[in-house]
Amino acid sequence: MPKHPLSCTVNDEAVQTLVQPWETLLEALRERLGLTGPKEGCGTGDCGACTIHLDGKPVASCLMLAVQAGGRAIRTIEGLGRPDALHPLQAAFVRHGAPQCGFCIPGVLMAAAALLAENPRPTHEEIRYGIAGNLCRCTGYTTMITAISEAAAAAAR
Amino acid sequence: MTMKTTRDVRGVGLAIPRPDGPEKVTGRVQYVADLQPRGLLHAKLLRSPHAHARIVRIDTSRARALAGVRAVLAAADIPELKRKAPTRAHAVLAIDRVVFAGQPVAAVAADELAIAEEALDLIEVVYEVLPAAVDPLQSMQPGAPPVADAGTEADIREALAHSAVAVAKTEAGPAKAVNISQQSRLHRGDAAQGFAQSDLVLEKTYRVPMVHQGYLEPHAVLAEWDRTGFLTLWASTQGSFNTRSEVADVLGLSENQIRVIPVECGGGFGGKIRALCEPITALLARATGRPVRYVMTRREELEAGMPAPQVIIRLRTGVKRDGTLMALEAETVLEAGAFSGTVLTVSAVFLASLYTWPAFDVRGVEVLTHKPSVAAYRAPVAPQTIFAIDSHMQQIARALGLDPVEFRRRHLIVEGDPMANGQPWQSNGAREVLDRIAEHPLWKSRAEWKASGADGRGVRGTGLALGGWLGGLQPTGATVRLNPDGTLSVLTGQVDIAGTNIALAQIAASAYGVDIEKVRITTGDTDTAPVTGLSAGSKTVYTVGAAVLQAAQDARGQTLEIAAAELEASIHDLEIVDGRVIVRGMPDRGITLAQIGKKGNLYMSKTPPVLGVSRPAFSQQAPAFAAQLARIEVDPETGEVTIHDFVIVQDVGRAINPLGVEGQMQGGAVQSLGMALTEALLYDGDGRLMNPSLLDYRKLTAADLPDLETIIVEKPSPSGPFGARGVGEPPIIPAPAAIANAIEDATGARITEAPLTPERIAMALLAASDGIVRP
Amino acid sequence: MRRFEVVQPGSVEECLRALVAHGPEASLLAGGTDLLPQLKNGLLKPRCVVDLSRVARLRALDRDGGRGLRLGAAVTAREIEVDPGIRTRYRALAESGALIGSVQVRNLATVGGNLCNAAPSADMAPPLLALDAEAVIAGPRGERRVPLSAFFVGVRCTVLAPDELLVEIVIQAPGPRSGGNYLRHTPRRELDIAVVGVASQLTLSNGVCARARIALAAVAPTPLRVTAAEQALEGRPPTGELIEHAAGLAAEAARPISDQRGSADFRRHLVRVLTRRTLNTALVRARA
Repeated sequence: MPKHPLSCTVNDEAVQTLVQPWETLLEALRERLGLTGPKEGCGTGDCGACTIHLDGKPVASCLMLAVQAGGRAIRTIEGLGRPDALHPLQAAFVRHGAPQCGFCIPGVLMAAAALLAENPRPTHEEIRYGIAGNLCRCTGYTTMITAISEAAAAAAR
Repeated sequence: MTMKTTRDVRGVGLAIPRPDGPEKVTGRVQYVADLQPRGLLHAKLLRSPHAHARIVRIDTSRARALAGVRAVLAAADIPELKRKAPTRAHAVLAIDRVVFAGQPVAAVAADELAIAEEALDLIEVVYEVLPAAVDPLQSMQPGAPPVADAGTEADIREALAHSAVAVAKTEAGPAKAVNISQQSRLHRGDAAQGFAQSDLVLEKTYRVPMVHQGYLEPHAVLAEWDRTGFLTLWASTQGSFNTRSEVADVLGLSENQIRVIPVECGGGFGGKIRALCEPITALLARATGRPVRYVMTRREELEAGMPAPQVIIRLRTGVKRDGTLMALEAETVLEAGAFSGTVLTVSAVFLASLYTWPAFDVRGVEVLTHKPSVAAYRAPVAPQTIFAIDSHMQQIARALGLDPVEFRRRHLIVEGDPMANGQPWQSNGAREVLDRIAEHPLWKSRAEWKASGADGRGVRGTGLALGGWLGGLQPTGATVRLNPDGTLSVLTGQVDIAGTNIALAQIAASAYGVDIEKVRITTGDTDTAPVTGLSAGSKTVYTVGAAVLQAAQDARGQTLEIAAAELEASIHDLEIVDGRVIVRGMPDRGITLAQIGKKGNLYMSKTPPVLGVSRPAFSQQAPAFAAQLARIEVDPETGEVTIHDFVIVQDVGRAINPLGVEGQMQGGAVQSLGMALTEALLYDGDGRLMNPSLLDYRKLTAADLPDLETIIVEKPSPSGPFGARGVGEPPIIPAPAAIANAIEDATGARITEAPLTPERIAMALLAASDGIVRP
Repeated sequence: MRRFEVVQPGSVEECLRALVAHGPEASLLAGGTDLLPQLKNGLLKPRCVVDLSRVARLRALDRDGGRGLRLGAAVTAREIEVDPGIRTRYRALAESGALIGSVQVRNLATVGGNLCNAAPSADMAPPLLALDAEAVIAGPRGERRVPLSAFFVGVRCTVLAPDELLVEIVIQAPGPRSGGNYLRHTPRRELDIAVVGVASQLTLSNGVCARARIALAAVAPTPLRVTAAEQALEGRPPTGELIEHAAGLAAEAARPISDQRGSADFRRHLVRVLTRRTLNTALVRARA
């Protein structure tokens, strides 16, 4: 079957590639573009490990077909910060020892970044709900909430 | 084993984040599914839809013909398969009978995952469906549909992997019925007489269903053979050496034909201790001559992983009116699924060993059913067992009008008391943990909390529970090397799942005498590392930490010897300060660690390199206890539970890294709460899983939980490195009992079946309000 | 997923042509939050997927000058959750949108998909039923309107023919002194699916309930209006006893099954409780 052309912006760079019609956006990002930050934890939108930003909004990339991303702006965890220039959320997560096995972390950070972009002064409850679509099995969430709170407070100052 | 350092270095006791934090928060850490070698093929497995069936015929010809398919395997294509699979790993593909729904019957490797999926549709399998044993209580009756191949012995590898209890001390009789695969009995004194003399006899049956370990990263493995017949496996595993041994056994290879490289593991919790997908992936790689990767889907994980067993405990106790314990009698049923392997005796021991029962009789059976076989899950069977015994102690105290903490404390074991299997309790902090949680303001103010629910929609209550884990043991080894720049390189084979690497680095730093920034830990694979046990059983810091400690001490000793010769001083007059070995009191007389390191590396040098080595084995366990307290509110009409506050108190012996320790306490607590409130693998009457997705297999979200409070207690273990005890397992234990106790406090309803769902709570309250009290 | 073709029509007309061309072998894709899991589980094996993301008309959200609300079928649950106009005047609908899945799912899930997937537990159905919504359906013979109360035929089954497309949901604004509320019971606070859902919508006039609508999710093969309870309320002062009576009628009207998410008894009990609660809240909001 013919491959579909896909033009979009990924992490601020213009991308032109060919995708299969049945490929999910998650698969295309990981396998075609080598952006393996977003993970597949369930494939059905029930865990949040695949969370990316689509035109700034947090979405489950395992539930989109790659062809649906044409003309859109996508950001993955790779576009949030770099090891030598961490985003404040990333730095806060590191400081608080939030990542354990690390598998859920890219998705959590993307959800948290989207939350703070929309709501720079979230309440504790709003932070909890902001990442409630991201399952974590290692941490119990408390250190993440603390880190997000701290990053939000720092940004507010 | 305490260690004096020459001065305070930055090492043990620091709350420092793991060094791989920046890589994890930027998504740069690679897991198996992220590896993309050239020529990669994708694997898919065809799985049985039936829980028990004879395989009449398998026809893979149409699948083989699909363009893009590179290999299709059925059992007939694999001569190495043993006719009777003694373990789950040996059942690579079903030969003539399937024994659980989800059991693999064929395997495909293809250019693309989508092609592999279509190929599965083209494989024709004709089954003759057989009656399935689905309920363990029925399965254990004579005449039940048989699960195991006749002659398959009880598998106690799991029990040994956790060094949970000395299996030899228990009495086991011959199996009565075909699906009873293990039996145990522990007894002491005359329980019947104890009951006869009791004023209050309480009997309840507690049940916790099968649950999944819930790691976010599904099982994944990449296999590739080289031209000499050497197999490399990149695996998401909790134990590379164990995986190597199992794969060698299953495929009939020698162990040094296999290299297992442990890739970053996205959670295991006991579910990735045993080999599962590695053999079939290796076989596909051999058949195609290409690297093959297999990643389980979430549906496959839930349907065909290796979950925790269902545990059913009928518990009967007798006490006197004044609270004197008289007798305990229990029957424990562990449902193992299709292959044996539960830690049966652990449950028996914990039931009768936590409190001092003068007479007890505890019988346990492991039962096989036509469901996926179980493996460990973080303190295997302890949460379920504590759910029973702690709920029971709480009910006794309530019935007698005694303070629930005081009642537990009064009867709690102390060091030296005999466990149910006769072995003496080692030093432990059970009492300290209990006392600490009882001091907590949330416990002290529980009456006010309860009263505050009088108006408004919710009823309020508080509950606590206490449990512990004995801690695993496994021989291991480590090396510590001094580099030419004065830094240390530590090599172990230990898969770093719980952040133990930073703790090991801290131990090495403190034991050798340098700051942690100078220490680098490398996790070797099976070719490069000293033999290493499982990252499980709460034993990593306890055993590997001890190994690193000894190796660091060895390296320190070698370093000082070299320095003593150079400085013409006695070794006893030397100390290591700020990267230099100096003569005490004469800081001008010294030599840097870098100089010593270089000396051992120079052409024609007579100075040997500093290489500390250790290879310890262990005989002493270091029990670790945890208590948890839940302050809750219950909507009595819907049964919904809101956890307002949750506290974890845990004895860790010595917190090598408090940040890491707290992370373990919080994570384990949430798994425990999941078991308490929402999680269950639900099977229909045909043995099929009804909830194979994360929509209906419910793990708790951030919105379901409050901030978790952690309180670290340190009662040093005489045998652990710097006094440390195992940390990973205790926090998963107490929550089901604590929540059940809190619900009883809030509503008056005692629920003995987990998960304590809103439906169970609401219906219990409805039944009670009818005036019809149902058990 | 297995392999399939994708077509991406740019208009409703192109979409209808694609449906005719591919017949029953085609599946419509809007948010994908129901379709993709079904494809991955092999419940559906279409030869062609018709992606609606380029059909602009389906995304339009129009407040119709205050007279009502027109929701394009591809308006997302998240848009419905946060839109200030919907939160003010169609509060039950906003509440239902807010409960679906998680924020990552709500940014994709569409009202049209929720209705056309027609699960008995569809959260946005009860509030829309309680608002007397109408479905605007496009087909080869033009557009037709169907009241939502006639839209659902059975489990996962609507009146849509294979060559038809839901394009819009139309709602008339409830009059002044109106209030609504949607509540559902789930074991978790997020990422969950209704065990029972109830929407109540009341309009008051001269101290009596001029108009009452009560609709239930997950207790029958389709979302269910409880006309008996509505009739018991209309024309009468909404006292506590009357509300309790209406809640009882709702519980009687429910036809739940017992499944892994809940027993029939528990669901009937929840219908009573949530009907009472949503009626009380709707009343407070109508009086405000």
